[in-house]
Amino acid sequence: MLLQLRNIFKWVQQGGQRIFLLKDINLEVQEGEFISIMGPSGSGKSTLLNVIGMLDTFDEGEYDFLSESVHTLKEKYRSNLYKEYIGFVFQSYHLLDDLTVEENLEMPLLYKKIKSSERKALVADMLDRFNIVGKKDLFPTQLSGGQQQLVGVARALIGKPKLILADEPTGNLNSQQSEEIMQLFKKLNEEEGVTIIQVTHSEKNAEYGSRIINLLDGRKI
Amino acid sequence: MLRNYLKIALRYLSKNKLYSFINIFGLAIGIASFVLIMLYINYEQSYDKFKGSENIYRVYMDYLEGDTFVPGDAMTYNLSGPTLKSEFPEVLDYVRFFYFEKMTFQLGDRIFEQPLGSLADPSYFDIFNYPLLKGEKEKVLSQPYSIVLSKSFAQKLFGNENPLQKTISAFRDGEEAVLTVTGVMADIPKTTHYRNTFLISYETEKTWTDWGPKAHELNWNANNYYTFIKLDPITNADVLRQKIIESDIEEDTEEQHNIEPIEDIHLYSNKPYEVSANGSITRVKFLMAIAFIILILSWLNYVNLSVTKSMERAKETGIRKVSGAQKSQLIIQSLFESILLNLVAIMLSLLLVAIVLPLYNGITGKGLNLQLGSLSAFLPYFLFILFGMVAAGLYPALLLSSYSPIKALKGKIQTSSQGLAIRKGLIVTQFLATIVLLIGTIVVTKQISFLESQPIGTDINQVIALKGEVVTTKSDSLLINEYKVLEEELKKLPFVEKIAIAQSYPGDSFDNLSSSRGILLPNGTKEDDKLFYTYHVQPDYFDLVDIEFLAGGTFLPSSNFDGKQVVVNETFLKNMGISSYDEILNKTVGFWGENEWRVTGVIKDYYHFGLKSPLLPMVIRYERDVNNILIKLDASAASVTGFESSITQIKSEWTKIFPKSTFNYTFLDQKFEAQYQEDKSFGAAFQVFTLLAILIAAMGLFGLTSYTVVQRKKEIGIRKVNGATIPQVLTLLNKDFVKWIGVAFIIAIPISWFAMNQWLQGFAYRTALSWWVFALAGISALLIALLTVSWQSFNAAVANPVESLRDE
Repeated sequence: MLLQLRNIFKWVQQGGQRIFLLKDINLEVQEGEFISIMGPSGSGKSTLLNVIGMLDTFDEGEYDFLSESVHTLKEKYRSNLYKEYIGFVFQSYHLLDDLTVEENLEMPLLYKKIKSSERKALVADMLDRFNIVGKKDLFPTQLSGGQQQLVGVARALIGKPKLILADEPTGNLNSQQSEEIMQLFKKLNEEEGVTIIQVTHSEKNAEYGSRIINLLDGRKI
Repeated sequence: MLRNYLKIALRYLSKNKLYSFINIFGLAIGIASFVLIMLYINYEQSYDKFKGSENIYRVYMDYLEGDTFVPGDAMTYNLSGPTLKSEFPEVLDYVRFFYFEKMTFQLGDRIFEQPLGSLADPSYFDIFNYPLLKGEKEKVLSQPYSIVLSKSFAQKLFGNENPLQKTISAFRDGEEAVLTVTGVMADIPKTTHYRNTFLISYETEKTWTDWGPKAHELNWNANNYYTFIKLDPITNADVLRQKIIESDIEEDTEEQHNIEPIEDIHLYSNKPYEVSANGSITRVKFLMAIAFIILILSWLNYVNLSVTKSMERAKETGIRKVSGAQKSQLIIQSLFESILLNLVAIMLSLLLVAIVLPLYNGITGKGLNLQLGSLSAFLPYFLFILFGMVAAGLYPALLLSSYSPIKALKGKIQTSSQGLAIRKGLIVTQFLATIVLLIGTIVVTKQISFLESQPIGTDINQVIALKGEVVTTKSDSLLINEYKVLEEELKKLPFVEKIAIAQSYPGDSFDNLSSSRGILLPNGTKEDDKLFYTYHVQPDYFDLVDIEFLAGGTFLPSSNFDGKQVVVNETFLKNMGISSYDEILNKTVGFWGENEWRVTGVIKDYYHFGLKSPLLPMVIRYERDVNNILIKLDASAASVTGFESSITQIKSEWTKIFPKSTFNYTFLDQKFEAQYQEDKSFGAAFQVFTLLAILIAAMGLFGLTSYTVVQRKKEIGIRKVNGATIPQVLTLLNKDFVKWIGVAFIIAIPISWFAMNQWLQGFAYRTALSWWVFALAGISALLIALLTVSWQSFNAAVANPVESLRDE
């Protein structure tokens, strides 16, 4: 088992009242799963994803990740945990505009203190795999949205994470580009066994996953 | 990793040109100003430092004034040195100097006027560790009629020949002495308060002039000598000073001996009869404060701008964080960027310093340069700059790295109220510094123009003082007659209005003025402890320099009292407690062993030394001796060509009568103004650095508003859609700054009032710290700030709101 959420609650105080963002969420994720989280706007999809990614905290409940109990960990260990095992993909790609494609891919490796020669090899490998060798010296603004997201996925993968969290990865893309990214996810999941959890609005994209979780007002339905 | 940081930093800096420019330029100006001021301060603090100088002290006199002793003359008696040495074992040795402002030398047919030299005891080279290039240290000054020349003076006299054992003639009051060159010493550094260019053996005095033997006798009568003593290094100088004061070696209740470190003379001593005009520790402190203010101002700018800018970079930080960056790595990266930026600024500042140094030397009148040798003295400042650099980089770095990644990615970073308070504090501090500097500039400028416009009780415009050295063996009376002839000849020149002869004149140095005590007043009381100053002139003097008589008149040329007449001034009467002119007019006073000085007149006070010194009690004597010939020129000599032709004619009359002589002249008003020179250059430096500080602050403000305006673009758009007018939007954007300037202004008033009061204490006559000085500074700061801010806010206010709302 990769991770397990038990009775997770998250709320904010507003005018003396508790507004629940997540309400009693229970979830088990096995390695190699491909899960889609669906639900209307404001249903808590992104919040759940952030909690799983340890970017956000929760107020009640338990969370085990690779048999570490996240809820008892200090902030520092928690962030070390996600930095090592989780890769993030965002709707608006979040590439660094000042860096080239190659440098964007290299960036996470720098923080892992990987040697220069090894970094070069890993980046070259990734460029090759995603078929973007020709684009390596371009800046993000010179790429189409689909290509940018390709780089985003490649960057999320380069640290060899166990889990990819994707928050509406195709939200800014046209249907053809969406198709390509979803195919890529599927391939990664099936051929390389990468666990993927994505948030999506689209039924069609959700179908790529092996399991769908529906949320409404912070509650699993 | 570092290469990566470097690459990103360079790209970032080149992409954000305005930001980089403001930051780098602001820092560079700050650092360059700091370096320039510190060069000057370093120079001022390096006076009289040589090997062993820490054990050398100058002996000076304290005089009793009322109940307390105050620092009196810088000069001592010829007994002072020998007595101190024999009575205090701590005093290892002494050297006495008799100072010559200048001296005339003759070598073959050539006549030279050489400034700055002394009669000196043979111990000179044991005490002053300046190199002797030729000759033996023990022997060079041991025999009478020996002279040691500075290297450049020797060069001037003898070219490349070996000067040793050559002879030259020196003249003193027309008396020739044939001196043998026994040594050549290295030129004394510029950073020395007493820069001898020649030293004549002390023993020479004994037989040189008629009064030499008398002057040479050891006595407690005439304090005409500078005395320096060398202390045993283990001595506690404060204890010794106390012992010297208490022992009262002179046994005179009116005065006592005191000592001060030679290293302190330049900055801390400003006594009557100083060798040269000294610097001032107050000025040094003020400049140092300005240096730090400007440097800190540029750092505040930097911090403020980078913090504002860091909000723009929040998204980047978020991405880096989710990509695995540790907090420490982000801090290091941010610091790296700031250090890079600072290094560029430092290099630029050194370039700026190199460019403006010649100009700066013109203002300060010093020969400053960037030497490697002075680097060790700069180490603390360098460390300070380094420290500030890191500190200024640390705050934005910590702030940036602390953003939570989710918020950062969503672009929802808002400055916390605490962060906002810090930034407001920084802006208020900037304005505070600017306003304080503005007030300072206005006060300094006001004081200088006050001094210049103040009536000085005398008119010295268009007056020149002629003083040449006549090389002759003629008797005094013959010489006086020749001067009379010259006077008559000069009077015939059409442009000469008036002529008079005087030993000293307004604006002259202390050297031609004697201080004395023990005057016998007409009512029979002898004032033993009241000081007066005296010089001698001939009858036409008062008319020429337009000094007004309150009672009586000038000396009577043909009276029985010829040679025994004096004129006194108001301050003299006040100090001696004489309330009516009748008590003294046409009566006699006694001093210098002569009881028949007849007082022919009382003059209105005039300023002999400019307004930095108080009014002096004066006794002006009538003597026939010729020192300076004062000539009042008429308007035709006011133009440059008119003046040149006048001087040529005067000179030709002079050389007709004195063929073997030197010819010299000074403008009295220029010499008088020259005493404000240091204050003027201080004022100029103050103005320049204030302007730079304002420039830095304005640039920072400009940068800052350009971002706040961007941040509030949407708000402005919404307000405009809802009917806000352009003036209303402008008010909205500008009112914060007005508030901050108000706060800064209120804090600035007491600080600058206190500081400028301190500075003004250095003047006997001070301008008032009027309310409008403060108001002017406050309004100027407000205007500058509003202009800077409005530039940006106006663009934001007139922008079409559709533009700003569309991209949301």
